[in-house]
Amino acid sequence: MPETRTQDRAADQPLSVAGWATHVPGLTAADLPGSPVEPACGPDDAKDVLGRKGLLGKEPSTRLALCATHRALGLPPGKLTEPLPYAPGTAVVVASNLGNVETVSTVLDDMRSRGGNVVSPLDAPNASSNVIASSIAIRYGFTGPNLAVCSGATAGLDAVRLARVLLLAGRAERAVVVGVEPADPVARALAALRPGDPGELIAGAGCVLLGRPGAWPTDTGITVGPVTRHTSDPGPADGQPAVGELYGAAGVVHLAAAAARLAGGADDDAAGLTVRCGDADDAWLTVDVTRAGARREAGAAA
Amino acid sequence: MAITGSSMVSCHGDLDATFDALLAGRSGASPLRAGDPAKLNVTHGYGIDDATERAYRASVAEAVSASGAAGGAAVAVGVPYGVGEDVRLSGRWLAQAVAGALAEAGVDPDTSRVAVIVGTGLRELRAVEQWHGDDAALRLAQTHFNEAVRSVAPGVTEVHTLANACAASGYALALAADLLELGEADAVVAAGCDTLTESMLTMIGRVGTTTAETVRPFDTDRDGVLLGEGAAAVVLELPSDKPAFGLVRGVGIGCDAFHETAPDPGGVLATMREAHQRAGIEPGEVDLVVAHGTSTALNDPTEATALTELFADVAPADAPAVTGIKGAIGHTSGGAALMSVLVACQAMRKGTVPPVTGLRTAIPEAEKLALVIGEPLAARPRIAQINAFGFGGVNAVTIVEAVDA
Repeated sequence: MPETRTQDRAADQPLSVAGWATHVPGLTAADLPGSPVEPACGPDDAKDVLGRKGLLGKEPSTRLALCATHRALGLPPGKLTEPLPYAPGTAVVVASNLGNVETVSTVLDDMRSRGGNVVSPLDAPNASSNVIASSIAIRYGFTGPNLAVCSGATAGLDAVRLARVLLLAGRAERAVVVGVEPADPVARALAALRPGDPGELIAGAGCVLLGRPGAWPTDTGITVGPVTRHTSDPGPADGQPAVGELYGAAGVVHLAAAAARLAGGADDDAAGLTVRCGDADDAWLTVDVTRAGARREAGAAA
Repeated sequence: MAITGSSMVSCHGDLDATFDALLAGRSGASPLRAGDPAKLNVTHGYGIDDATERAYRASVAEAVSASGAAGGAAVAVGVPYGVGEDVRLSGRWLAQAVAGALAEAGVDPDTSRVAVIVGTGLRELRAVEQWHGDDAALRLAQTHFNEAVRSVAPGVTEVHTLANACAASGYALALAADLLELGEADAVVAAGCDTLTESMLTMIGRVGTTTAETVRPFDTDRDGVLLGEGAAAVVLELPSDKPAFGLVRGVGIGCDAFHETAPDPGGVLATMREAHQRAGIEPGEVDLVVAHGTSTALNDPTEATALTELFADVAPADAPAVTGIKGAIGHTSGGAALMSVLVACQAMRKGTVPPVTGLRTAIPEAEKLALVIGEPLAARPRIAQINAFGFGGVNAVTIVEAVDA
């Protein structure tokens, strides 16, 4: 076993957050840090961010995830004009639970009522629950490990945890971490089956670019530590914006918002923020986001 | 990393029953028990019937009892998991497999740090279908596997559900090895599970060309893939004096970043080479390949071409034997990679490599591969390579080494 590698990649080592974006349709940077200045577009207008090509047959959650990724990478609107130099070997880790439940239900209904021949073959990729992660890899050329994390309310920070494992184990130097949920009628009805009163599900995505120091071209001075699991409710996180219930997307959306807030200097006294996600069924996870002493130029989220 | 405990269930039953079926070249396909074949355009699957499930549960209960395991695992085994016995939750099989693997390893999650990573293709979308279409009861937390695992092992530190298509349990094994290497767990359970969903059967019927009754990997007359059911779990620990079933030398994982459903030979080959590099082996050291071999129009020629290129410099006399399991147990999706790993370990122990069930005449792309056809091959492989490729171009390739029994 490569012991030296393990030694330099100590478990509590902070990772760089090299970029971020939140993309909750209708919200602006004033509502949720990391959002665009104008209200974030909905899935039907994803072409405004991504260009027209390649969106046929893509579910709303895939579109929102692509919008968040595109903006976190700091890319201009439209299709990629040249390959991303740092794409090969980059990992993709996506948290989402409800991305394809509407497709699954519609395919079931159509098959049962009219027979499988009426179903569109374009939905074949969407029947596989990793379609969001693979769509991001295909669009940007990320050939590293590709994970679809579906572990419920903690999925967002579970994704951050697993991205961290991939980076510390040397499987990738860079990881694109995305959290996304849709808010179609099937997803909302499923979300209402959660314990307590979680609030109505809203659609939204967040993306953070994680890496070993120096692995991404941008140095933002923002770092993220290890993810901590709590079996009892750790209480509300400081200043986590109450934008609506994001379920499995919450961990990444709030991490991206915290990075944007720290980088934007809105809290001059705050050196760090704690992000949380979870519920009574799935337990809770938290992670600390920290700003380096000397603040540097903000990330690619502008 | 040492595999210190394992358990699996396919349509044939546990690993011994599955291995016997493979040696005999026996397909476990049967008429579908769920859904309307006329509407699905699919008539067969490799489902687990009630008698097979009961026999498997009894064998796990016996393993747990024999291990004398105290605490959660022993208490909960035998308690039906799920919203009802009529619901085919793959979590039921998963829970049994996890309990069986922990018992065999003698690992107690209450006294050591045990993480669990579950790979799955279809998650519990069958339960979502029954909730949506049949008014079955459901809680949202039942759509992933935290509760299923904790029903038999409440003391585990973390449970991850990865929906990594047909490479999912290979990915789980890779992350399990990473967690051990980083010192973040004392033992890790890597697992995989799936049950048939009507929506995926619909898609197979929609994009497939025929109504196959069995799976014929690498055969010129193959008719496409059929789904299988089941679960598999292994306990991975750092090597020690403890008896091991096999050693995981390394797992390569990657993504083609090429196409949503079609495999890319370049990406597949890159992941195989990554696995060899992680395991510290050369292609010539591989004695056995358990191929992904799905019997689809695209996978089999792509995989055969990639394997031919990988072993291009190996003399024909030294070429590894190539087999596959899906003709006997169907495409078990999330569990497929780990089931192939367990079959590879069993072949190394028994000194016999099962033939590819359903294969009669190999496709031209496989002409340079030493496919095992018709009869088992008497051999003592020391190093085996296990391929798993999924929708979205996700690839996981595992290298295991034999342990002398």
